Amino acid sequence: MNQLTIETIDQVIEWITIDKLDRLDLTNIRFVDPYALLILHLIILEREEEGRPIEVAWPQAASVNRWMMAMGIVAGNSHNSAPASKNRESTLQPITRIENESGIGHVVDGFHHRLAERYPLTESSRRGLVAVMIELFQNIPHHSNATGTVADPHGIAAMQDYEDSIFLAVADKGIGLSTSLGLRNGYGGLSDAGALDVVFHQGVSRFDDPGRGGELQRIADLIRSWDGVFALRTGRALYYFDSRGGDVYDVPNFPGVQLGLRLPRRVLT
Amino acid sequence: MRAMQIERFRIAQFGPRLGTRMEGEQAREQLIALLRSLPEDGQVRISMEGIDVLSTSFADELIGRTLHQLMIGEFGARTMILETPALDLADGIDVKLAQRQMAMLCLSDDSWHLIGAHTPAMTETLGLIIDKGTTTAKELAAELGLQMNACVNRVARLAKLHLIRREQIGMSGPQAIYSLHSILKS
Repeated sequence: MNQLTIETIDQVIEWITIDKLDRLDLTNIRFVDPYALLILHLIILEREEEGRPIEVAWPQAASVNRWMMAMGIVAGNSHNSAPASKNRESTLQPITRIENESGIGHVVDGFHHRLAERYPLTESSRRGLVAVMIELFQNIPHHSNATGTVADPHGIAAMQDYEDSIFLAVADKGIGLSTSLGLRNGYGGLSDAGALDVVFHQGVSRFDDPGRGGELQRIADLIRSWDGVFALRTGRALYYFDSRGGDVYDVPNFPGVQLGLRLPRRVLT
Repeated sequence: MRAMQIERFRIAQFGPRLGTRMEGEQAREQLIALLRSLPEDGQVRISMEGIDVLSTSFADELIGRTLHQLMIGEFGARTMILETPALDLADGIDVKLAQRQMAMLCLSDDSWHLIGAHTPAMTETLGLIIDKGTTTAKELAAELGLQMNACVNRVARLAKLHLIRREQIGMSGPQAIYSLHSILKS
């Protein structure tokens, strides 16, 4: 494997959670996308919390190593969310911790500022992106620990730009969609794929208030209209689509919800 | 007839980019306080001037929930109207009102729009009431070429959503007769 991306990160999850490997060899990795970076961060964190830290052989490619450090993943100190100073100019938005609803405005402002500094986005795409961030970020305090059972409940987000796209990722290792929906009468016992189905096709949320829900469905519609790539993973299911289509796929189990959006720059700028 | 008291509620007082449900909930408390401070037939015009981004969550907490309370009669005959410098700024409100099966009058570029859940028939009927300022169901039925019952149903829906003001002026057999008033008329 030489890339850690939406397409390959599930292999890493399988090695760690199913094959129970204690050593992760990333030496040949030459590219990492923000979605895979956040999941890697959570995998390492999960194992540290279990008292069985993973030994990671970090990428040999200096540019990848520097980027990962600047994004906030540091060898031997993976949960450090403070960005390293090296190579700061190539990172768009390092890994940022999201803990509660009251801090979200500040986090969104930070992401928005970084984006606006680098790109003259069109008004409608800038507004659309900011609104998407608000909804995605607040899902973390609203849903990831709705049962109150998660130790250190929080989420993380990061953003990176490429020649042809902007990539936004948000992740947590909370209770996941099916457990969150299961708190609502009539939605208990859903599989992860079943939860994705009711969220994306019926706009259901764990609240029975008619004004709640539908945000993820609308975000998916917006990304589809922009010809972007959308990946949302929860437990054992992944909902993925790109401009050629998509589906719900079986993936190795991992706690929480992880989401990646790759947006073509041509529609944003 | 005395003039209706109209007060403005500027959403931008809470910031240009809004926001979370928690922010919307805090703003709603102030909107409700303003509504309650008005006379029974008063009106709040919610202004989006100065707003850069308004999320659907904030919109639902501030406007969707307050409009629901208005609809179920918690604020008497008071009304609310949205004012926006650009219609697309109100997209989030439109989405959430539709989800809640409610509608609201929105003023933009010197013209009115109906946002949320509405039908062409509702828009047609409301438009006629706004043009006339004051009318009756009988007059409307004649102009729209409708059976009286169909017209009364349309008017009842508009009145329930507080999109018009309805005042009983008499009885015709068992049926109440109302005069119907545009809420854009001060």
